[in-house]
Amino acid sequence: MAEKETTPGLVQRIAALPLWVRLAALTVLVILATLVSKWLVLVLLIALGLWPLTLLLGLGLLALIARRRGGWSWMKGWLASRLGGLLVPALAVLTALIIGALVLMFTDQAVYEAIADGQIGEALGLAFGNLARAYGALYEGALGSPFKILEALGRWMGGEGIRPLLSAVRGPSDSLVQSVPYIFAGLAVALGFRAGLFNIGAEGQIGMGWLVAVVVGFSFAGLPAVIHLPLAILLGAVAAGLWAAIAGFLKARTGAHEVITTIMLNYVLFRLSEWLLCGPLEEAQGTCRTQDIVQSAYLPRFLDHPVTVHWGFVLALLAAVLTSWFLFRTKWGFELRTVGANPDAARYSGMSVGRTVVLTMFLSGALAGMAGVSQGLGITRNIALGFQAGYGFDAIALALLGKSRPLGVTAASLLFGMLRAGAARMQSVAGVPTEIVQIVQALVIVFIAAPEIIRIVYRLRKPKEEEVEVAVFSRGWGA
Amino acid sequence: MMTAQAEAATTPEAPGMSRADVLVTALIVLVGGLCLLLGAVSTEAGEVAQFTDRTLGTLFSLPTQITLYVIGVFCLFAAGVRLFVKLGSVRTVLNWSVAFLVAFAFLVWITSGSSLNLPGMLQATLVAATPLTLGVMCGIFCERSGIINIAIEGMMLWGAFTAVAFGSTFDNLWMGVLGASLVGGLMAGLHAWLSIRYKVDQIISGTVINILAAGGTRFLNLRVLEPAGLSTPGAFNLVRIPLLADIPIIGPILFENQPTVYIMLILLVLVNYVIFKTPWGLRMRACGEHPRAADTVGVQVNRMRYIAVIVGGLIAGIGGAYFSLGQVGTFEDNMTRGQGFVALAAMIFGNWNPIGGFLAALLFGFADALQVKMQIIQPVLPIINQPIPPEFLQMAPYILTIIVVAGFVGRTRPPAAEGKPYEKQ
Repeated sequence: MAEKETTPGLVQRIAALPLWVRLAALTVLVILATLVSKWLVLVLLIALGLWPLTLLLGLGLLALIARRRGGWSWMKGWLASRLGGLLVPALAVLTALIIGALVLMFTDQAVYEAIADGQIGEALGLAFGNLARAYGALYEGALGSPFKILEALGRWMGGEGIRPLLSAVRGPSDSLVQSVPYIFAGLAVALGFRAGLFNIGAEGQIGMGWLVAVVVGFSFAGLPAVIHLPLAILLGAVAAGLWAAIAGFLKARTGAHEVITTIMLNYVLFRLSEWLLCGPLEEAQGTCRTQDIVQSAYLPRFLDHPVTVHWGFVLALLAAVLTSWFLFRTKWGFELRTVGANPDAARYSGMSVGRTVVLTMFLSGALAGMAGVSQGLGITRNIALGFQAGYGFDAIALALLGKSRPLGVTAASLLFGMLRAGAARMQSVAGVPTEIVQIVQALVIVFIAAPEIIRIVYRLRKPKEEEVEVAVFSRGWGA
Repeated sequence: MMTAQAEAATTPEAPGMSRADVLVTALIVLVGGLCLLLGAVSTEAGEVAQFTDRTLGTLFSLPTQITLYVIGVFCLFAAGVRLFVKLGSVRTVLNWSVAFLVAFAFLVWITSGSSLNLPGMLQATLVAATPLTLGVMCGIFCERSGIINIAIEGMMLWGAFTAVAFGSTFDNLWMGVLGASLVGGLMAGLHAWLSIRYKVDQIISGTVINILAAGGTRFLNLRVLEPAGLSTPGAFNLVRIPLLADIPIIGPILFENQPTVYIMLILLVLVNYVIFKTPWGLRMRACGEHPRAADTVGVQVNRMRYIAVIVGGLIAGIGGAYFSLGQVGTFEDNMTRGQGFVALAAMIFGNWNPIGGFLAALLFGFADALQVKMQIIQPVLPIINQPIPPEFLQMAPYILTIIVVAGFVGRTRPPAAEGKPYEKQ
C-alpha cells in the first residue's frame, strides 16, 4: 500500500522516535495490557459472540478512515487485493460444510425410517430439522448465542454478577482454546512448507512437547512461577524441536525423505509414550497418565470457569507474528524461503542447504511442540494415554488453507478451532459424532489442494496470475 | 537431498566398497558382538531353550549359550566375508540370513530356561505379517507405477470398517471381504483421481485419505452401524486344509489359518509374477521409472497409473478386512493402529519388491509376535536388571526403517519417476 501522503503519518512519526523510547513505550504497553488482559479477553469474547455487530462497527470505522483519507478508491484496491485470494478458500470451506450437511442427512436413521413408512414429506422435514439442529448446535458451540450474550450482558450491567456472562461466552472461549494448538501446529507445517519440507510428524512432536513440558511441570515443585513456567515451555519446545531435527539432520546428511522419517518418528514416539505413561511416569497403577503439574507451571487462565482461555492463546498469536517476522524480515527466513523455492539456486548462491533444512525442522518441531506444551500446561495439566487429538494432521490443512502465511494460518486455525469447539457441542446436543468435522476438514484440504474443482463447480475464471503455490514436496522417496 | 548425492558422486570410493557397505558391515559386527555379550553375561553354561510342539512334544532343545556364541561368530564371519570377498547377489541373501538368525538368537535367549511352542510362534508371525504383506503389495502397485502412497493405513482402515458393514448386512463374511476390497479400491481411486487428474501433491492427497478414514469410519460406525445393530458380523474361523494340515510342524503353521492368510499367500505369488514376468508388469514399472519412454512406446501412462493404484487399493482393502473379520469380529476405532505405516516401512525395507517386502513383513511380524510373548515371559535385561518393555520391540520396525531410508544399511532404490505427475507433451 503505497503511502501517497507527504505529511508524516502516525507510523512514520513513531518510527522516527529513538529505539529506547519505542522499547520503553512497548514495555509500558505490554504491562498495561497484561494488567487489563482479563477485561481485554472478555471484550474479545463478547465481540466474537456478537460478530455481526462487531463487523458493522469495523465497517463504520473503515468508513471513517476512508473519509479522513479522502475517498474509497485506495481502499477498494486494497480490499480487492486482500479479498481476491480469499474467494477460493471461502468457497472451499462452504462447499465442505455443504457436503458435510449432505453426509449428515444421508446418514440419519430417522429419515430412512420415515421414508420406509412412505411419508416422504415428513422425511424431508425430519432431515432438514435434524440438520438445522445439528448445525445450530455447531454454531452455538463455536460462537455462542448472541441473544444469550446480550441478555447476560444486560444482567451484568444490572448488577447480577458476571457468572451468566461467562457461561454465555463459553462458545467463543472454547473456540479460542481449540485454536491454540491449531495455530502452533499450523505454523509448524507452514514453516516447513516454506522451506520445501513436509513435516508430517507434527502429531509426534506435539506429544514430545506435551510430555516434556508436563514432566518439567511436575518435577520442579518449589520453583517460583517466573522460572518454572518459562522453563517448562522452553524445554518442551526444544525437546520437540530436537525430535524433529533428527529428520532434518537425516535429510541433510543422507537425503532420507522427511515424510518417511517423520512418520516413523511419530510411531516411535507413540510407543515410547505408551511405555512411559503406563510405566515409569504413571501416577497410579492402571491410570496410564502422569501426575498433575504443580501450580507454578500452570499457563494461567484469564477468567473463571467455564471460560478456559489461557495465556497460550497470546503465545500462539505471538508465535504467528514472530514466524512472520522470521520468514519475511530476517536473513535466515530469506535463506529458508530460497531453499524452498529452489534448492539449487540457494546452493549456488552460497547458502548452506543442509544447515537450513536442519534449522527449519528444528523450528517447525519446536512450534509443533508448543501446541503440546500449551495443551499440557494450559488445559489438561497432565498427559494421558491417547493424547493424540489429530491436531498434527489437521495442521496440514491449515497450512494449505493459509497458503503457508503465518497470518493466514492463524485465521484458518481460528476457523478450525470454531469447528472443533462446535463439534463438541453438536455431539452433546444433537448426538452427531464429532468426527463429522474431520470429514469436513479432509474435504477442505481436497478443495484447497485442487482449486480446479472449486473453479469448475462455481464456474470461476482461472486467475490471471497464479498465486504462490506451495512447493512441490514429493520429489520421490529416498534421495 | 541433492547434496548427499553430489558428495557421494564426487568422493572416490574404494572398488566394491561404498560407505553404506562399511556401515552395514560395522552394524553386523556390532550385532554379532551383542550376541556374544548376551551369551557371556546373561546365560549359564547349562541352560537350554526348549522348543515344543502341540502334538509332537519337545522338538529340540538348544543350549542357549552355545547357540548365542555360534550365531555371534556367524555374524562376525559374515562381516568378514563382506569385507574381503566380492559378493554379487549373494549379498542380499547374506543380509537377510543375518537378520533372521539374529532374530532367532533373540528368541533363544528369551526362551532360555523354559520352553516355547515354536510352530505356534511361527504361525503368529505369519498371521501378524499378513496385513503387512497385503499393505506392502498395495504400496508396490502404487509406487512402482509412480504414485506415492502414504494412505495404505487409510485404505486398510476403510477396509476394516467396510468388512464389518458388508459382512453383517449380507450376513456373509465373504461379502465383507469383497466389500472391503471394493471400498479400498474406491479410496485408491480417489487418491489416483486427485493426484493424476488434479495433480494434487501425492502426499497431501494421501493425507486426505488418512484423515477421511480416521474420521469417516468412526463417524459412520457411531451413526450408522451401531444404531442399526450391524456392528458384530463375527470373525472368520480357522480353515483347515485337509491332508496338508496334518503334516507335522509345517501343517499347523501354513495350512490351518484364517482365509486372509491364504489370500495373502496366493496374492503374493500372483503379484510377484504379474509385476516381474508379464508385459503388463513391465509397462507398469516403466511408468514409474521413465514415463516419457513408456509413453513413447505407446503405454498410456496415466491410465496405467489409475489401474495400478486401484488394484493396490483392492489389495489393501483385503488387508483391512483381516483386522476386523480375522481378529475380533467387530469394528473398533482406529483398529489398524498404524500397521499401514509399518507396511509402508516394510515396503521400503523390502526395496519395492513383493518378496523382499514379505520377508520384511515376516521380520516385523516376528517382532510383533515376540512382544506378545514377552509380556508373558518378561525377560530381564542383563547389567541393568530391568525387564524389556514390549513397546521397545514394537518400535523396531520404525527405527529399522529410518536406518534403511537413511542409507545406513543396504541401498534402497525407489522408482525414479515417483511422485511426479505425468503430462503428455
